[in-house]
Amino acid sequence: MKFILGSGYTFWNPLIWIIVFLVVMVMVYFFRRRGQKGYKKGTDQARIFLCGEEVPEAEQRHIRVGNIYWGFFETLKEYYNFILKPHTGIINDYILWFVVAIAITVIILLIAGLAK
Amino acid sequence: MASLIAQSPILIIAIPLAAAFLIPLIGMVSQKARNALVVVSLVFVAFLVFALARDISINGIHIYTLGATSPDLTIPTGFMVPVRIILEVDGMSVFFSIIWSIVSLAAAIYSLSHIASETGQTRFYTLLMLMVMGGFGLMYTGDLFNLFVFLEIASISGAALIAYRTKFADTQEGGFKYIVVSAIASLMVLFAIGLLYAQYNSLNIAYLAQVIQYTTLDKIALALFLIAFAMKTGMVPLHLWFPDAYSVAPASITGMLVITSHACMYAAFRICFTLYGGVINAPVVGWIIIAFGLLTMFVGVTMAVYQKDVMRFMSYHAISQLGYMWIGVGVGLAVLGNPQLLATFGRDAMSGGIFHILNHAMYKPLLFFTGGALFHYTGTRDLTKMGGLAHKMKWTTILYMIGTLSISGIPPLNGFSSKILIYESVYQFHPILTITGIIVSILTLASFTKAFHSAFMGAELPEYKRGKEVPRSMIIGMLILAAGIIFVTLFPSLVVDWAIHPAADALIDQSAYINAVTGAIP
Repeated sequence: MKFILGSGYTFWNPLIWIIVFLVVMVMVYFFRRRGQKGYKKGTDQARIFLCGEEVPEAEQRHIRVGNIYWGFFETLKEYYNFILKPHTGIINDYILWFVVAIAITVIILLIAGLAK
Repeated sequence: MASLIAQSPILIIAIPLAAAFLIPLIGMVSQKARNALVVVSLVFVAFLVFALARDISINGIHIYTLGATSPDLTIPTGFMVPVRIILEVDGMSVFFSIIWSIVSLAAAIYSLSHIASETGQTRFYTLLMLMVMGGFGLMYTGDLFNLFVFLEIASISGAALIAYRTKFADTQEGGFKYIVVSAIASLMVLFAIGLLYAQYNSLNIAYLAQVIQYTTLDKIALALFLIAFAMKTGMVPLHLWFPDAYSVAPASITGMLVITSHACMYAAFRICFTLYGGVINAPVVGWIIIAFGLLTMFVGVTMAVYQKDVMRFMSYHAISQLGYMWIGVGVGLAVLGNPQLLATFGRDAMSGGIFHILNHAMYKPLLFFTGGALFHYTGTRDLTKMGGLAHKMKWTTILYMIGTLSISGIPPLNGFSSKILIYESVYQFHPILTITGIIVSILTLASFTKAFHSAFMGAELPEYKRGKEVPRSMIIGMLILAAGIIFVTLFPSLVVDWAIHPAADALIDQSAYINAVTGAIP
């Protein structure tokens, strides 16, 4: 079977997942069909209730990229301060990293050669 | 047909080169004819690549000696060593060239509309064909000096293409950074070649692999090769130039730059496994690659989550995904000297890494193309200025979702097939590799969800209400890659058996590569 990817301990058959997805989609469609039929688009039924406050226009309610995952970045503030430092945009710095990486690799290979 | 296949290695390189020189002439007469020449030549090259791949799967390594009376006459009469330029195509080379041919065709078709409003299109296509030629040459050459030459051709044309849209200042900066980094990396490669040539008087990879001693100079040359190619692929901490250059190029070229990274990865694998395979301190070099790979995965994805520029965001993800490939192949290298471990999980780890290269070569250019489509529609790369684009860009939205699910390793898409192969095999080498891989996958999904919400979801923004979906050729370019994703999703085993295992075995079996050249004396 060309659908099955197996390597002794790895087993993967995408067809099973596709069938499961199709079954889930049919179930979702079924539940949706059984939903409230009295719903009327464009009436007060569909208006957003925001504790009595005025609701902004739809385009103003869009959450922009800068506001997503704020807590994640706040928690990892120190990591990001550290990791952003080398990203200077200066080509000289980039080449310095290149020289350092070569030097470290040469030293490791030479020391490993001595140990061997 | 047999004669065509016998000549195919040189034709695959020569056709894009000839097209590159014909494009300026035909471009003076008709733009449509010029565009047709680009597409037709790439379709024909793709056909040749697949025919060659089929031949290699049946008959083994394919040799082509330039200037010889017969293509397989690698060592001329009266000589003890190969002196002519030799093209040597094995399972690994042909695997990479399949990727190269598909993505370059998709990029060319995508470009037809993507750069339609730009000036200097003839120069663009000339450079594109030179870049294509450089990539094929790099994968097929059996000679170190020609590897350097083809690397230079791909790099110089790539830098010019990054800086192609001269109306934007950041493209000039990106092109400048790319050429400086590429030139220094290429110089280090040339220096390493010089160190080997000085000792062994030959540039032929197969011959060098036979006689190399692993002296101190050889170790220095190995470090130079490894780090120079690592820099070109964007391995952390040598990745700093990568988003600066990739984010400003036309999207079709960014797709090409992704597979240029793969081509440099191919060169690094060829050096480690084929050239040094018999003498290398495999566990040490394997661990160096694994350590850099881990760093690449984690730093790449955490930097990606932070981005607000859609193309920089995707560039950091490209870096992160390269980490998976380095880890998979690095584990294979680390256990290369232990046949039992190699058979237990090493070969599968390598196959997983190589499989991920194939998958990455389809979903990453697709995502870059969708990023280019967003830029085409909105005129900005800034995600903070986007929103509600799914209302007008239905095709782009669907294709972005396919790319997102694939890169995040969500089953049943192809990204999952390669990731599970990597996870389960590298776990046996060290569990931390799998754990890091899974965390990186979760962060990848989280960041792509963020970008999807920012760009596509929500109500239509007033400034984008009048636009319409990107032109047809851009969608066709994206559909070619999406079709590839769907195919690999449905038939992972077919792909692994036909392309991935032969590529991994070609790396492991160093003697086959050597014997194909040195054992072919008439």
